Formats: sequence, structure tokens, C-alpha cells
Amino acid sequence: MSFEEFQNRARLFVVGALDADEMAEFEEARREFGEKAEAFIAECYSLSEAFALSLKPAKASDQIKTRLMEMVKNRQTR
Amino acid sequence: MQGNEGESEKSHPLQPAVPRPGSPTDLELMQGIQREDPEALSQLYDRYNGILKALILRVIHNEAEADDLLQEIFMEIWNQAKNFSAAKGKPLGWMVTLARRRAIDGLRKKQAYLRAEERLQQETEQQPEAWVHNSTEEEILDGDRRILIQRVIGMLPPPQQQAIELAFFRGMSQREIAANTNTPLGTVKTRLELGLKKIYDGLKELRDEL
Repeated sequence: MSFEEFQNRARLFVVGALDADEMAEFEEARREFGEKAEAFIAECYSLSEAFALSLKPAKASDQIKTRLMEMVKNRQTR
Repeated sequence: MQGNEGESEKSHPLQPAVPRPGSPTDLELMQGIQREDPEALSQLYDRYNGILKALILRVIHNEAEADDLLQEIFMEIWNQAKNFSAAKGKPLGWMVTLARRRAIDGLRKKQAYLRAEERLQQETEQQPEAWVHNSTEEEILDGDRRILIQRVIGMLPPPQQQAIELAFFRGMSQREIAANTNTPLGTVKTRLELGLKKIYDGLKELRDEL
């Protein structure tokens, strides 16, 4: 696989769109390209960040944070 | 800041992790969570609950389930923080990936998947719901990060936007997208590859310009 092809696959990978058969090839190329591949994949996460940031923020129930922090506190005291 | 509407913290477009001067960065908050500091989780929650809730809602379309899932996801962020590595990307990308995966799992587990799929099929056959809408002049003028990103996405031809939306927000494989849209698999692959490359390049250009 060329690096350009790897880049296309990496973008599909971060948005969860790689089919199973492509995944094996992708992982093999990922190992082959090493650090260069990892650096590119890290950059590709800007895509999933952007898709989330393209949405209008939604208001969560006020109770959620209270419950969350209680759960964290309970876990710490265990 | 991209949190809930009305928050005063403004960040640099496309750099969501830039907090108000003096506030900890996303990375510092993640490091705090890794040290099991609840205050770090509290601040990260305040910063990103709106974005992550919107993402979950986009996947499962149920307000109460989205709230429950949001709580579970932040608990998972707390529990899994030790697995976060700054070398592999930014905290927001990690959180979005985790939230998206959980939301899609939740959708499937609750067997709402088939119902949603039917609804989606109907929407696809009738008129696909627009992911991004044309912005008003006022919205464009306010320079909001969301508008800028939507403009990049909105420049794609609708079939490319639709393919990306089905993959990202519905968790569909390329084969599932092909089947759901009655489109040849090769065409779906091309649409996804071209669309993602254009968005990636567009985001890069925006970062360079700003």
C-alpha cells in the first residue's frame, strides 16, 4: 500500500468506516509505516472533532453532573 | 468556548482546547483526571458536555437516553483516562471517538437500531435530512467555529455528505451504506474517500488561515 493510499484509509479509520477486510490491510500498513503512520492518524482525529463541533451543543440535564460527581466520589472512597 | 449556549468563554476557531487565559488546557485536565482529580473531570464536563450530548443525540435521537449515556461516557472518561496518550491525538478527539462508539453501541443494544434504520431508510428515500444548513449572513459574520466547520462540510456534494453522515453518526460500514442508499459499493468508497479528504484539507486550510 502506498502512503497516499494509507492516508485515505486512515481518514476512513478515524470515522469508523473501514470494512473488516480493509482493516487488516490497514493495520499491516500502519505497522509498516510506523511513526509516520501514527502521526498521520493523530492528525486525522481532527475530522471526528470537526464532525462533533459542527453540531449545535445540546443542554444536558442538570442532574447528570451531580450524579457523575457522586459516582466518582463513591469510587474514590471505596 | 464551545460549551452550552451563552457561555462567555470564546476560543480560537478549530482549536476547541484553547480555554480562557489562566484556565487549564484540555491536556492539563486529562492529566488531572489521570491523577484522579475530580475537579479536573468537573471542568472537562463543563467544557464539553454540550458537544458530546449533541453527538450522542445525533446518533440515538432520544433525550433521556442521551443524558444517561452522557453520564456513562464521562464515567468512562474517568475510568479510561490512563489509556489516553497525547502522542496519539488531542483529548477532544479521544473523547469524541469514545462517545461515538458508546452511542452507536447503545443504539444497537437497545434494539432501536432497526427502528432508526427504517426511519433513516424513509428519510433517505424521501429527502435526506441536511447535516448542515445554509448559514444566515448574521451567523457567518459572527465567525463562530461551528459555522466555519459547517461551511467546510457544506461545500461537499450532498451524496458525499450523506455517506460521511451515515458512517460517522450511524456507524454504518461501507457495505451497509451501499445497501441503504442503493448505491454501488465502489461509489460509496469513492464518496467517502473524496469527501473526507476535502474536509481534512479544508480544515487544514482554515487552521493555516486563522
